[in-house]
Amino acid sequence: MKSFKPILTEHIHQKDCHTLSFYKSVGGYRALEKVLKMNPENVIQEVKESDLRGRGGAGFSTGVKWGFIPKDTNKPTYLINNADESEPGTFKDRLLMDKAPHQMLEGMIISAYAIGCHKSFIYIRGEFYKEYKMLETAIAEAVGNNILGKNILGSNYDLDVVIHRGAGAYICGEETGLIESLEGKRGWPRTKPPFPAIEGYLQCPTIVNNVETLSCIPHIMNYGADWFKSIGSEKGPGPRLFCISGCVNNPGVYEEPMGVSLKELIFERAGGIRNGKQLKAVFPGGSSSAILTADEALDVKMDFEDLVAKKSMLGSAGVIVMDETVDMVQACLNIARFYAHESCGQCTPCREGTAWLVKMLTRLVNGGGKPQDIDMLFEITDNIGGLIDSSKGSFGKTICPFGEAVAWPVRSFVEKFKDEFLEYLPQETVVA
Amino acid sequence: MPLLKIDGREIEVTGGTSVLQAALANDIEIPYYCYHPALEVVGSCRMCLVEVEGMPKLQVSCNTFVGDLPAERKVDSKYDMVVNTQNDLVIQERKNMLEFLLLNHPLDCPVCDQAGECYLQDYSFKYGNAHSRFEEEKRVRPNEYLGSQIVINHNRCILCSRCVRFTQEISGTSELYVEARGYDTKIAALEDKPLDNLLAGNVADICPVGALLSTDYIHKNRIWNLKKQPSICQDCSVGCNIDVFSQKDQVFRLTPRENQDVNGYFMCDIGRYGFHRFEEIERLTQPMVQKGETWEAIDWEEAIQKAADLMEKSNGKTAGVTSPYHTNETNFLLGQIFKDVWGSMPQILGEEITFPSGFRISADRSPNRKGMNDICEIIELDLDSEISSKAINGLYILDDGVDRELDDTWKKILEKMDFVIVQSYAMTDLAKLAHIVLPGLAPLEREGTMTNDRGRIQWLRPSLPVMGESKPDWKILSWIRKAMNKDEQDFTEINEVMKEMGEVFPAYKGLSFFRIGPHGLSLNGKASG
Repeated sequence: MKSFKPILTEHIHQKDCHTLSFYKSVGGYRALEKVLKMNPENVIQEVKESDLRGRGGAGFSTGVKWGFIPKDTNKPTYLINNADESEPGTFKDRLLMDKAPHQMLEGMIISAYAIGCHKSFIYIRGEFYKEYKMLETAIAEAVGNNILGKNILGSNYDLDVVIHRGAGAYICGEETGLIESLEGKRGWPRTKPPFPAIEGYLQCPTIVNNVETLSCIPHIMNYGADWFKSIGSEKGPGPRLFCISGCVNNPGVYEEPMGVSLKELIFERAGGIRNGKQLKAVFPGGSSSAILTADEALDVKMDFEDLVAKKSMLGSAGVIVMDETVDMVQACLNIARFYAHESCGQCTPCREGTAWLVKMLTRLVNGGGKPQDIDMLFEITDNIGGLIDSSKGSFGKTICPFGEAVAWPVRSFVEKFKDEFLEYLPQETVVA
Repeated sequence: MPLLKIDGREIEVTGGTSVLQAALANDIEIPYYCYHPALEVVGSCRMCLVEVEGMPKLQVSCNTFVGDLPAERKVDSKYDMVVNTQNDLVIQERKNMLEFLLLNHPLDCPVCDQAGECYLQDYSFKYGNAHSRFEEEKRVRPNEYLGSQIVINHNRCILCSRCVRFTQEISGTSELYVEARGYDTKIAALEDKPLDNLLAGNVADICPVGALLSTDYIHKNRIWNLKKQPSICQDCSVGCNIDVFSQKDQVFRLTPRENQDVNGYFMCDIGRYGFHRFEEIERLTQPMVQKGETWEAIDWEEAIQKAADLMEKSNGKTAGVTSPYHTNETNFLLGQIFKDVWGSMPQILGEEITFPSGFRISADRSPNRKGMNDICEIIELDLDSEISSKAINGLYILDDGVDRELDDTWKKILEKMDFVIVQSYAMTDLAKLAHIVLPGLAPLEREGTMTNDRGRIQWLRPSLPVMGESKPDWKILSWIRKAMNKDEQDFTEINEVMKEMGEVFPAYKGLSFFRIGPHGLSLNGKASG
């Protein structure tokens, strides 16, 4: 495979790459200058045509989302940059904020301009204190250079950017939970409709986009939708930051075109499995995605379509690699425990079901398992998040996708590594 | 108008109607917990999931609006939406939700006050599993006081958040909030602001399970032992519609009854717990005459005759004292007997309160001042002067029945009288000064009409049996009227009084309990008083 020249992370290894002067020296804010002379409609159109899909996890078309903003609204519209990166195994947005904050800001300003927004928020994960300070500096630089504030670059367009720090809840990365939290309320996702584009922050039209998504925007505006579409997979193109963690030699963030093979990511970019061990399983898109067995992992392209075909998802592109030493039951319990801890407690199936899973798995791990527990694990996960295969039943049983986020990975562990679960059952209970 | 097909039935709805609302209005059962018509929709209990044909997932019917299905999702061009509420998929989902809700719910229905009117019990009976598959330890927490009269049993709570939304949206006091998250989530009251607002009691009513309990009713009775009587509250001039729950001659609780023209779905705690004061007051159940320091019981015939004789001797110089605590019919008859001078006891004023939701508590704590003013047209404000100028020597008082001390003006008035006749249900300070007491009915025993401060006439219905020799107040006055003038009709039915009242006061013409109905009738300003 020919080597790919990074787009979003091209300059991250250079000295002072986070500064405004550096960013300008490599062509930064040129796209903004161009956009400010354009009709906002045309900006939306360009992004629509680029087929850019959200990099936060759900993978919804960015341009289409922007298009949902009502044209005739007399309310202010808001753009929220979702920087609440909380998905286990995901650490790309942090890198972008740390190393290329102006790229993200430029993306924000262009996006805000496109949707007619004059006040924009960055909702940043509370633990990202360093990144928060760096963003503060970057915003001050931008304001000082007429890139933010009143009459941006002499265009008559005004925009303020406000940073809001989260307080440590995974669910506040879900866009409506985030909006509630930003309003100063408990981070309970809202039932939809209405969708945020119609009634979001303070009941006004609101777009929530992820850091990486917004960072793609300046490049699309500089080089055009066709250029963007030429990168990687045909459906859902563009560059993508893959976060590789777990049992590999070189964990880290790797920028590759959409559709790169998982095999290449693990064995070439990340230097293969550490200590010469065998690959056992992979979360391809953060801990909310169904795990892939080694065989599946070696035969999958990292894009929206191929992973859905494998009954998993690209999600946040957080690749967590597990080798042969990993105890899959313990790993499953670990994941279940995370989700039980982070469940907001609003919807019945998620609040009660996640805790049930943890109690049952804990009992299993402690030697108290019963044969019927295995089937029960399937049933409970199905009842929380629904079946992946919707032809066999309903999915989407909770207000937000958290139900699926716990159900699908846990179910995939039991389904794909059932033997290991059976091994935990006390011997006398196993009927030959 | 959007057209819905639900379980094969065609239903036309108004724009903005949710599937749940459409179902409820058409007797199609969709179970739900978090939805409440007065509160913001949150869609969190997930019980009301239904199948909307064309949608990939089941949808919460509380937040799915019939006209909102995008054209590309429509399966049948004739309908705006095709919904199934009873198929296997939906029924199975209800079972699943109930299983989750019951995982940690105690099986303490035998000692739970909600038993018998519990939606968890009802839906479990209908859709639930007979046994639990939960083998783990249950989540157990101690009960807590959220306010001085509301206790929460956390173990029974299903976290529907109705109570929290109530304090945010209806009372606007926001004492309650959701604490912690996930499995540890619980309802809590602010440490420095307990749930003690005047609408607090409503949270126990809107709790769909037995989690929120009023300390006033806790473990007092079983709901199926109680008789439920629709009536109206008599503790201020708003006239909230209520249900009175009683067993034999004892009231156990009052709950609000929906009336969108008066009180919505709620009532205040002044009215809710107000019935207790009738328990404390010394009851009169026998006509009596005062003999020096003591009272002597007499029969009705003698009592009526004695009263009529006294008034006859006073030669038209007896004044009537009307009462805004009594029904229109009673005040009407009093007005017919004493045509010259009327007074009424001093008004008892409280604080006028309007909550952010529009719910009102009137400053006037009497239930029928508007009606009384309509029907007894000239009530003297300065009764003392009027008594002097017209040489009034006797009073016939319809006692408010309120436990109060008499002010100096009234003490002075009473001292001047040759005789005082008090019609009352209780031995109030006023009754103690009477020469004759005629025992009427206690407020919860009365029947008749009352007109609230917005001119809405409502049906006060009797909730308790009549005690002892007490008689309906209108009946006593009918006897008095007859005794004073043999030509007058003695009414045997309250309907006859209502009819005659309508003849004299056109605004009240043509009324009957049937017409007034359970939700009252606006007099449309006809009875301007």
